[in-house]
Amino acid sequence: MSVAEALSGEPEAAGYARAEGPQPFSFPRDHGAHPDYRHEWWYVTGNLEGDDGRHFGFQVTFFRFALAPEPLQRTSAWATRQLWMAHFTVTDTAGETFHHFQRFARGALGLAGAEADPARVWLEDWALSGAPGAGLDRLHAEAEAQGVGIDLELSAAKPIVRQGDRGYSRKGEAPGNASYYYSVPRLTAEGRITLPDGEHAVEGSAWIDREWGTSALGEDQSGWDWFSVQLDDGRELMFYHLRQADGGTDPRSEGAWIDASGEKRRLSSDEVELEVLERWTSPDGEATYPARWRLRYPAEGLELELEPTLADQELRGGFRYWEGAIRGEGTVQGSPVRAVGYAELTGYAE
Amino acid sequence: MMLRRASLRYHLRQPWQAALAVLGVALGVAVVVAVQLANTSAERAFQRSAEALQGEATHRVSAGTAGLDEALYTELRRAGIRPCAPVVAGYVNAPGGDPLRLLGVDPWAELGVRDAVASAALEVDAGRWLSRGGMAVLFKPEAERLGLGAGDLLPVEAGGRRHELEVAAVADPPDELTAEGLRNTVVVDLATAQAVLGRLGRLDRIDLVIPDGEAGAAVLEQVKARLPEGAVLKEAGEGAAALDEMTAAFRLNLTAFSLLALLVGALLIYNAVSFSVVQRRPLLGRLRALGVARGQLFRGIVAEGVLLGTLGTLAGLPLGFALADLLLDLVTRTISDLYFVLSVRSVTPAPGVLAMAAALGVLVSGVASAGPAWEAATVSPRTALERASLEAKARRLAGPLGIAGLALGGLGAALLWGYGGGIVAGFAGIFALLVGAALIVPWAVRQLAVALARPAGALVGTPGRMAARGVASGLSRSGVAAVALVVAVTAVIGVSVMIDSFRTSLTTWLDSTLSADIYVRAPAQTGETPPPLPEGLAAELAAVPGVTGVGTSRRLRAPSEYGEIRLRAFDHGPEGDAGIVYKDRTAQAWADYRAGEAVYITEPFAAHHGLAVGDTVAFRTPEGERRMPVAAVVRDYATSQGAVYVSRTFYAESWGDGVINGVAVYAEPGADLEALIGALRQAAQGQGQALQFRSDAEIRARSLAVFDRTFAVTRVLQLLAAIVAAAGVFGALLALALERTGEVAVLRALGLTPWQVWGLELSRTGLLGLMAGVLAVPPGLLLAAALTGVINERAFGWSLQLSVDPALLAKAVALAAVAALVAGLYPAYRAARVAPAEAMREDG
Amino acid sequence: MSKALMQLSGLSKRYPEGDTERVVLDGCDLDIRQGEALAIVGPSGSGKSTLLNLIGAMEVPDQGALWFASEDLARLSERARTLFRRRHLGFIFQQLNLVPTLTVLENLLLPLELNGTLDADGRRHALALLERVGLQGRDASFPEHLSGGERQRVAVARALVHGPGLLLADEPTGSLDRETASVVLGLFDELRREQGMTAVLATHASEVAAKADRSLELRAGRLQEVAPA
Repeated sequence: MSVAEALSGEPEAAGYARAEGPQPFSFPRDHGAHPDYRHEWWYVTGNLEGDDGRHFGFQVTFFRFALAPEPLQRTSAWATRQLWMAHFTVTDTAGETFHHFQRFARGALGLAGAEADPARVWLEDWALSGAPGAGLDRLHAEAEAQGVGIDLELSAAKPIVRQGDRGYSRKGEAPGNASYYYSVPRLTAEGRITLPDGEHAVEGSAWIDREWGTSALGEDQSGWDWFSVQLDDGRELMFYHLRQADGGTDPRSEGAWIDASGEKRRLSSDEVELEVLERWTSPDGEATYPARWRLRYPAEGLELELEPTLADQELRGGFRYWEGAIRGEGTVQGSPVRAVGYAELTGYAE
Repeated sequence: MMLRRASLRYHLRQPWQAALAVLGVALGVAVVVAVQLANTSAERAFQRSAEALQGEATHRVSAGTAGLDEALYTELRRAGIRPCAPVVAGYVNAPGGDPLRLLGVDPWAELGVRDAVASAALEVDAGRWLSRGGMAVLFKPEAERLGLGAGDLLPVEAGGRRHELEVAAVADPPDELTAEGLRNTVVVDLATAQAVLGRLGRLDRIDLVIPDGEAGAAVLEQVKARLPEGAVLKEAGEGAAALDEMTAAFRLNLTAFSLLALLVGALLIYNAVSFSVVQRRPLLGRLRALGVARGQLFRGIVAEGVLLGTLGTLAGLPLGFALADLLLDLVTRTISDLYFVLSVRSVTPAPGVLAMAAALGVLVSGVASAGPAWEAATVSPRTALERASLEAKARRLAGPLGIAGLALGGLGAALLWGYGGGIVAGFAGIFALLVGAALIVPWAVRQLAVALARPAGALVGTPGRMAARGVASGLSRSGVAAVALVVAVTAVIGVSVMIDSFRTSLTTWLDSTLSADIYVRAPAQTGETPPPLPEGLAAELAAVPGVTGVGTSRRLRAPSEYGEIRLRAFDHGPEGDAGIVYKDRTAQAWADYRAGEAVYITEPFAAHHGLAVGDTVAFRTPEGERRMPVAAVVRDYATSQGAVYVSRTFYAESWGDGVINGVAVYAEPGADLEALIGALRQAAQGQGQALQFRSDAEIRARSLAVFDRTFAVTRVLQLLAAIVAAAGVFGALLALALERTGEVAVLRALGLTPWQVWGLELSRTGLLGLMAGVLAVPPGLLLAAALTGVINERAFGWSLQLSVDPALLAKAVALAAVAALVAGLYPAYRAARVAPAEAMREDG
Repeated sequence: MSKALMQLSGLSKRYPEGDTERVVLDGCDLDIRQGEALAIVGPSGSGKSTLLNLIGAMEVPDQGALWFASEDLARLSERARTLFRRRHLGFIFQQLNLVPTLTVLENLLLPLELNGTLDADGRRHALALLERVGLQGRDASFPEHLSGGERQRVAVARALVHGPGLLLADEPTGSLDRETASVVLGLFDELRREQGMTAVLATHASEVAAKADRSLELRAGRLQEVAPA
């Protein structure tokens, strides 16, 4: 099974739990895994700066895929219906290097899993772990591969935001074609990044997304563009466009505007305008992605030009997509504003 | 140029000798090629498979049969140690008893360790692979062989239980090497392997890829720090090397036999070249008179020999290839019978082997023709010597040759029975012994023939006397024939007596060791520990009416100071140590052993590790290291690797499990074993495991059948050497017959009928064969003593009682006589057809 | 004129030679008279040995007959011819006369043994013959230890030992030096006369022919009487 299959609405979703309407979240329980849903992720992205102002992006993501709707009745502890995947990337903007790693492990024998309290998700030695009773407020993110590593303390600067309709996020026409989705839109990050050229003390901000469900894209959907943008005035904008096979944008695309106090405003698909200014083709010519945008959110008088900190932040694993650090400059109500963030662009590869 | 042309024409006119020489070398080279190819093919298959299974792994963690707790893997992964791949592997039987290697892996962990396995397993939908049991991936060649495609079911049997696998995908091996190495392999998920092989909670090993240098050393330290008691960290190649070593002695044996065939082939070259020299003696004399230099003649004759040898070699290479197919089957079966499951489907052409055999064939031909060439070079230009003077020379040489032979034989004996020396020295000793014996033969034949002339004359009159004297007087010819025969018959006697002695020792051991009446175990492949039997089985069987008692055994491989060793934990039945054949022991041996205060070691174990009663062996048990005194050395022909016997008490204390692999059932005297087996089956039925119930007689018969198969290769090689020898005898006798044409013609003119000539010729060859047979007895017995007492002990660690069956010796002597008679038929026919008129050739 | 021991009439013998045939004997007629010594002379290759082979029943003619005691040797089976040779003929060849694996005495006894007449008398007779040819005391020697002349002397003795009716000698002195040859020849003639035996000698040596009662020359496949020298 490829990850793409897992993420696209594979027809055999029968028997799995589905997100069929808003449900109150229950924390800390919902920080843990929801094994009856087909997929789930813990998504941490962030922009960091070294003492010397050197910019780094990072991403640590834990994906859980359920392979069967029911728990298995098998004797071996290795038999499992949960497959875990983790992605870990570091964008070395100044060094013009994008480090990305992918790992799989079965959800058995403690090789990979997630726990609610203290919040913890791990795949072997890559882990995101919280403190007892602290929910996602304080987290330690740790990952290392081939001489590239992060070791970061994350502290929530904003409360949890329930995306969509009270955390219920519709992704398509079909009932149940939705997910439960919440975020911590801003965390301060502090710690170290290890690169082949040495260790760097870093500071910056991060974003956490939590999402689980049983299907994501409908058959007429070809991919999505997802952005999280943290403005330097303390506000955040998240939005995604579900792209239709005919080139249009699915009206179920939406977003969120979070003010300095953490209040969220739900955005519909047409409230954020996105114009692609430039495109970038991956070195092997297999995929062409948008690579610079003009973003307008007229309701708040926001106009930004966004661009990747590094053009090549494509993950060329089994599932090919672009996910990388972005930065922007522009104005909000006429005043200059700067932004950092992450963009995820899927469905561009052949 | 002219000389060469003359020599070529000569051989075209005398095609028999040339053809025989070519045949002899061809057979010799063929046997060498076949054995080497069979060996290298088996070794290569083994290496390929070891390499493919090892993948990129540099180290492995294992803990013998007991295996590792699977939690260790998680611990290593969570400590960031990777690549690191867990493995549960074993053999299962496909329908028809075809053994397949079940390789249980985690596909994602395989990445970077065995990429071929990883990508094969990843062809299967991860959902099916992980969540459903029994998903299997076959590589294409194997799938084709088994006639299976994706979606087909593959029922397998393991440890007496049936399981259904489903071929989830058929993978293309990335390259030939991998295809070869992963032959017979079925890739399944670890969970499936654990379930099928009954290894729940355990791993057979964890393979690690650890870089060289400091970083790697640090990782190794991290791994070591996490190893539980009883687990060992080894370099990955070590296991394969040990397995390879296991069969090394066996393969060396075969090589030695193949060289023997070539040696006999060399005698044929010698005979052909020397015959040609004698025939052309007058011509050679004239050539010398014409001014041809000695060096020219010498080189010319050697060139002839080399040419014949080259032709023979060229014929021998493809012949060897064909023969290798047959041998490969025998070699593979033996290795599979004795050591581990080995699957080799085809002979691999090894250029090195072919080149080596070719060089050997040509070289040996050159060496064999050097003697006659020297003879030719020393022909006097003045007188064309008569054959008689060659005979005189042969007679003069016989004595010194005999003395040299004695010296060489002595050297051989020293190599064999002197101090020290490994198996190679042992074989060198055997060759010295054989060549020494061969050198004595001409002298001995002459003495015997002369001594026999009178009794033969008294018995059958002048023809008898003529026959005996003919052997003596044609020494330059009959000597060669006799040497070929003696060498071959010596080998026949040596090997037959060795096999016979071995068989007798084995039978004696089986008789005393099979003290129980019925043995119960679950089926297992060679070299694999039989799977555990259900708990409580022993008690249930003991309760069956008619059973007087039961014993249990546990077989496992466990780490020790000598690496992984074979351990046998016995709960001896009601008869105590009655089934143990002691070789050496302390006074308190049994009591100490039973109390778990001492262990027994088998003979090969003692030999391999230089241990004796009173020494100690340290075991790495889950309870930590246990050092135990050796209370006895016992005979045990079950494994040439050796094993350690421990009492159940000691096993339970140190390994802490109740696992048993076998139950020995003692029945009331006179019980009907068939009926009892039925009752025992009934009692065991509830366990859901197919079990083997075998009577002591059946085990005995099976053991002997394996034994006989083991020596099938040896017998084939022995037969080939005998065929080459017979060809040698044929050549020598034919030469003799041709040289004696005039003599026969005179006899015919004097009134001997063709039948009388037949009788004369055949009685001479028969006599020659008989003498060769008799002469082969002493060296044959020496060879047998060397093979049983020295080679076996050095190669396998077994000491065998030499037992000589006179009937066997008589058979060997008869074989020599019959071989000579058969080889003598055509020469005798030729002689009988000699026209008396040949005596009156005009112009001499 | 004594009666004929053997009558040869119209003997022809051809040998294939390549595609053609070589005619060696072409209608030979000859009466071998009882008790005579007959020399066949002629150059090398003239067919002397072939004629001797036919007389000795070692070969059969293509045409013609060899009458011996009212039997045509040409029509006898191989076995019958062998028995004929055994009983009635004595041979002396140019060389290779003796069986190398038998001692001098044993060589002498061989014809007796073959004829089944080997007894104490036979043995005494053989030893006496050996003495006659001057080789007393050499009875246990092997042929290879004898000189060429000695060997031929043994051959003479062996040819006579069983009292054959006809002696055949093919260049009996061909391989001997002149002096030795005359000794051997002398012995041969002496013994033959003593025992009244018929002899046919093939030779191209005039000394040999001179000892004969008559000489015939073989020329172009036919025999012609040669006037005594």
